[in-house]
Amino acid sequence: MTCPRCRSTEVSTVAHSPVAGRWTMSSCSVCWYAWRSTEPAAAIDPDAYPAEFRLTIDDISTAPRLV
Amino acid sequence: MPQHYDDLRGFLDALDAEKQLLHIDRPVKPEPDLGAAGRAVANLGATAPALLFDNIDGFSDARVALNVHGSWANHALMLGMPKTSSIKEQFVELGERWLKFPVRAERRERAPWQEITIEQDINLFELLPVFRLNPGDGGPYLDKAAVVTRDSADRDNFGKQNVGIYRLQVKGPDHLGIQSAPPHDFGRHIVSADQLHHGMPIAIAIGNDPILTLAAGTPLEYDQSEYEMAGAWRGGAPYPIVRAPYTGLDVPWGSEIVLEGEVHYADREYEGPFGEFTGNYSGGRALPVVTVKRVHMRRNPIFEHLYLGQSWTEIDYLLALNTSVPMHRQLKAEFPEVEAVNAMYTHGLVTIISTRVRHGGFGRVVALRALTTPHGIGYSKIVIVVDETVDPFNLEQVMWALSVKVNPEFDAITIPRMYEMALDPSGYPQGVTARLILDATTPRSPDRRGEFSQPVTAYPESADWEKIFREMTR
Repeated sequence: MTCPRCRSTEVSTVAHSPVAGRWTMSSCSVCWYAWRSTEPAAAIDPDAYPAEFRLTIDDISTAPRLV
Repeated sequence: MPQHYDDLRGFLDALDAEKQLLHIDRPVKPEPDLGAAGRAVANLGATAPALLFDNIDGFSDARVALNVHGSWANHALMLGMPKTSSIKEQFVELGERWLKFPVRAERRERAPWQEITIEQDINLFELLPVFRLNPGDGGPYLDKAAVVTRDSADRDNFGKQNVGIYRLQVKGPDHLGIQSAPPHDFGRHIVSADQLHHGMPIAIAIGNDPILTLAAGTPLEYDQSEYEMAGAWRGGAPYPIVRAPYTGLDVPWGSEIVLEGEVHYADREYEGPFGEFTGNYSGGRALPVVTVKRVHMRRNPIFEHLYLGQSWTEIDYLLALNTSVPMHRQLKAEFPEVEAVNAMYTHGLVTIISTRVRHGGFGRVVALRALTTPHGIGYSKIVIVVDETVDPFNLEQVMWALSVKVNPEFDAITIPRMYEMALDPSGYPQGVTARLILDATTPRSPDRRGEFSQPVTAYPESADWEKIFREMTR
């Protein structure tokens, strides 16, 4: 599995719908993007993920602090 | 004493009775339905209802409330006023109730949210119907929770205990990111904890009565208690609080859900972006990290959320009069002539002030003071000053004043390279902007200019007729 946003493979399924079989949640431990299996393709498919919201390792490591 | 509510459920019942609540029982998907509905209901305008969803895909008993504060009608009902109350009437009422501050909080031992407690295997994605609000958000968020922390250097100071609304990204089952900047009280608390080299206890109360949320979104002074302000805004009825067992922090008695945990010491992690109140995404930043250690909740809790995006949305109602009233008080302290302040356009990026004019040039004096109020320092990018005869909440009147009182040669004043809050997308660089004062007051001596000596005034009886018409159309 690949993160739709930063294309890291450090992703895992972290939750299952309380009503079994409806959806799963996944989370990326590099950019902390989280997504549900039932979301539109633009949220869950790396190739359909919008270019303006994609992240590189550099974007993540150089993000400014606020406090 | 005006009507007030101890919890969200009580207020939703009141909204229902006033036909200001829509029950949505058709099946909805967390994405895109809930965020899409939040945007859509905001488009209905000043009488928009709150929404309560109870049939959410994948959950057996979850409920989501949206747009609870999201109209002037709901805002008035929160204050126990008729739902047709004008904005200025609500502004005046909030200002008068402020005078009761502080009202000591009422401490209780038991709370409805103590019904269920989870200590092991906490998974917020399964416990709560969290959802992505706007398509570009980095994940689901808690964006309307009351976040409670104390100053680590002065832990027993009740006034310095802060209750604020800060966005929290749900990154993992028990793992949150939280946004705050140094001027915020939370920002000061995290700096204080980092200096002492330890983490900071945090409580996150979700689904609260509307007045507490209003107080939590108000720019109070550092040592002023939001609970004591909530009591004032309830008309003097003490606000009920209960000590959260794991952290010892004081949280609302009436909350639907209370999370307790710890803000990590000196840890910063990528957070965002999130569609913000400016109508633009925030970008990503390295922000503090929270681990959740306890979840307390009522049975069948209501998960309250807020839509925000291009104005107007619910957040514009929630940050409107509670921003305007303190700025009015600060201006009036030095200039009693100031009649009213409207700092509700994108949290006060545009601020409109009405004032009596003491002498020529007085309008711009008042505007300059607005720029140096605690909120104005970060927000008042454009300040419009009008005469006291113009209602600053009535944009038709404000536009009239701009149309005929302003001579751009004299009345448009720009101050370059000023600080502002970093989320304004027009900042260049981010956090820096010019300020613009538009002085639309009538010129007075010694600044004599223009032909303003013959304004059209109505017959005095007009005021009586207006009262009659308002009563007849209520």
